[in-house]
Amino acid sequence: MVTPVIRTVDLRSDTVTKPTESMRSAMANAEVDDDVLGNDPTAVLLEREVAEIAGKEAAMFVPSGTMGNLISVLVHCDERGSEVILGDDSHIHIYENGGVSSLGGVHPRTVKNEEDGTMEISSIEAAVRSPKGDLHYPVTKLICLENTQANCGGRCLPIEYIDKVGELAKKHGLKLHIDGARIFNASVALGVPVRRIVQAADSVSICLSKGIGAPVGSVIVGSKSFITKARWLRKTLGGGMRQIGVLCAAALVALRENVAKLEDDHKNAKILAEGLNRIERLKVNVAAVETNIIYVDLPKDPKFIAEDACKSLEVLGVLVIPQTTFRIRIVLHHQISDSDLDYVLSCFEKLFSSVPEEKA
Amino acid sequence: MVIRSVDLRSDTVTRPTDAMRKAMASAEVDDDILGYDPTARHLEEEMAKMTGKEAALFVPSGTMGNLICVMVHCEVRGSEKQLLETLKEARYPSTKLICLENTHANSGGRCLSAEYTDRVGEIAKRHGLKLHIDGARLFNASIALGVPVHRLVEAADSVSVCLSKGLGAPVGTVIVGSHTFIEKAKTLRKTLGGGMRQIGVLCAAALVALQETLPKLQFDHKKAKLLAEGLNQMKGIRINVAAVETNMIFMDMEDGSKLTAEKLRKSLTECGILVLPGNSSRIRMVIYHHITSDVHYTLSCLQQAGQAIHEPKMLSF
Repeated sequence: MVTPVIRTVDLRSDTVTKPTESMRSAMANAEVDDDVLGNDPTAVLLEREVAEIAGKEAAMFVPSGTMGNLISVLVHCDERGSEVILGDDSHIHIYENGGVSSLGGVHPRTVKNEEDGTMEISSIEAAVRSPKGDLHYPVTKLICLENTQANCGGRCLPIEYIDKVGELAKKHGLKLHIDGARIFNASVALGVPVRRIVQAADSVSICLSKGIGAPVGSVIVGSKSFITKARWLRKTLGGGMRQIGVLCAAALVALRENVAKLEDDHKNAKILAEGLNRIERLKVNVAAVETNIIYVDLPKDPKFIAEDACKSLEVLGVLVIPQTTFRIRIVLHHQISDSDLDYVLSCFEKLFSSVPEEKA
Repeated sequence: MVIRSVDLRSDTVTRPTDAMRKAMASAEVDDDILGYDPTARHLEEEMAKMTGKEAALFVPSGTMGNLICVMVHCEVRGSEKQLLETLKEARYPSTKLICLENTHANSGGRCLSAEYTDRVGEIAKRHGLKLHIDGARLFNASIALGVPVHRLVEAADSVSVCLSKGLGAPVGTVIVGSHTFIEKAKTLRKTLGGGMRQIGVLCAAALVALQETLPKLQFDHKKAKLLAEGLNQMKGIRINVAAVETNMIFMDMEDGSKLTAEKLRKSLTECGILVLPGNSSRIRMVIYHHITSDVHYTLSCLQQAGQAIHEPKMLSF
């Protein structure tokens, strides 16, 4: 039997994207200055650009999406005893170390995330604390949405839904924050400009280092007064960095060159999803693959535990993540070629065409 | 008249050199959260070695470096970070940590000796406390004292060292400590939002800084001394020249002098020399490797300004 050439195809996340040649060139030539003592000019350019894209007054570069969300929640939830309504499967709640609570003192009130990434409007409304000032209750300050919703499979929240949540927030005097780590994916998939998607939001956190491939960073957007408070918090948390123009230059290239490529990532995700779904033992909800994330369900059998499957795939050079006991997560990005896709499919076929113990 | 811009506000204004830019452009990188960035790892290993500690961690800023260190050491609710003066009082809640700062910025970039740091370390041990050193400008202290960094921080459980100040890297600080300390620090860094992805870009510049700018710090100290001596000779200005141990100068106005800090700040601005704004009667100047003949320019500007204030020219007809 001919041993296939081992190559590495990293599908663990779109965060693995490495800076392109044009990004590296931009970083090397970036105009910079001390962004804490004053303003780094390239950061200012980036922040203006992203504010414009999002249709908000102002923007601010931050080292990560985690900090973007943390700052946003803390600015909105500005009194002791604040509560934030968010999805039980949201990134803020699951993957940010509970920072909003441990650092910010904000109490989370979770609402079930449906399969499509939304939360039932009626459930959100039921979670709003009322009456305010009741002796027993924290004060609801904020609703957080996530678009695309990662744990639900990179699902896009429709604009109409976001608008409705926005109306609900206004009705109850609450703010609305969108964790838009992959907002560009949502925008491309829905065919709707970012600014329209986030129209109802008071703030948005947008990642530059995921699908659009910049090496580092996120940008948060909101009103001028929101961003002023955010700047203070960023310094307090230790996110105030000096000559960040280096990183912002790469991000500007990413915005210019890589947003359009996201459509290819979605196409590739669909192709791969369909191919995987054709493998007998595997199941993929292809219709749910709206952007660049695929969930592959394995047979619920101890012989097919996701963790073991991922290790076997790693031996073949395919890096993916075990999402749950019998589910594997795959994330597409622009540095995955067509031949990588074929290779990945062939590896899955090789691995799942027989039961593991039969191979021995 | 061509106004030249001389920025003496801080050594944080240092911009990446050509060598740093080249290194950033060609840096080997990877996702430092999902796995590790190879250039970050290289920098962290280098810093751990230089400071004589087990492990190190790159963080976005000195503020985060100190914050993480204090939080890791004081991880029990109700912990208290103790300033040295009040150490001997029995306290409730429980004292967990002593923090020193070397060089000490607000005292004018003063160096803490290894012996002093060791004594504080002994006190810390005696009381079951940890010792953290805010070593933002630790390399300045090391150069000025002629003592290797690892000796200076021998007594410390953790240190925070800036790369973006006198060393001139664009961004970042490295914290050092034991393996277990750094493991906890890593989690806290993520929680605070300091976990960044392909940071090799920034770490590459920092590695160049350690190679190329570190040896130049001694010249920053010489320039600071020169400027301090020159300014101290001016009427109305008082500088404790002996206290200028590293790259910072505090300039005070003599009582009763016609020279005021406000007038001097104005003159400085007119000459294109930037200092931090403020109402204080004290003006701070910080020297770093980009400042060269600017020292003479600064001196002559201030001398001229001083002269103009003391002896305003009479109009002659």
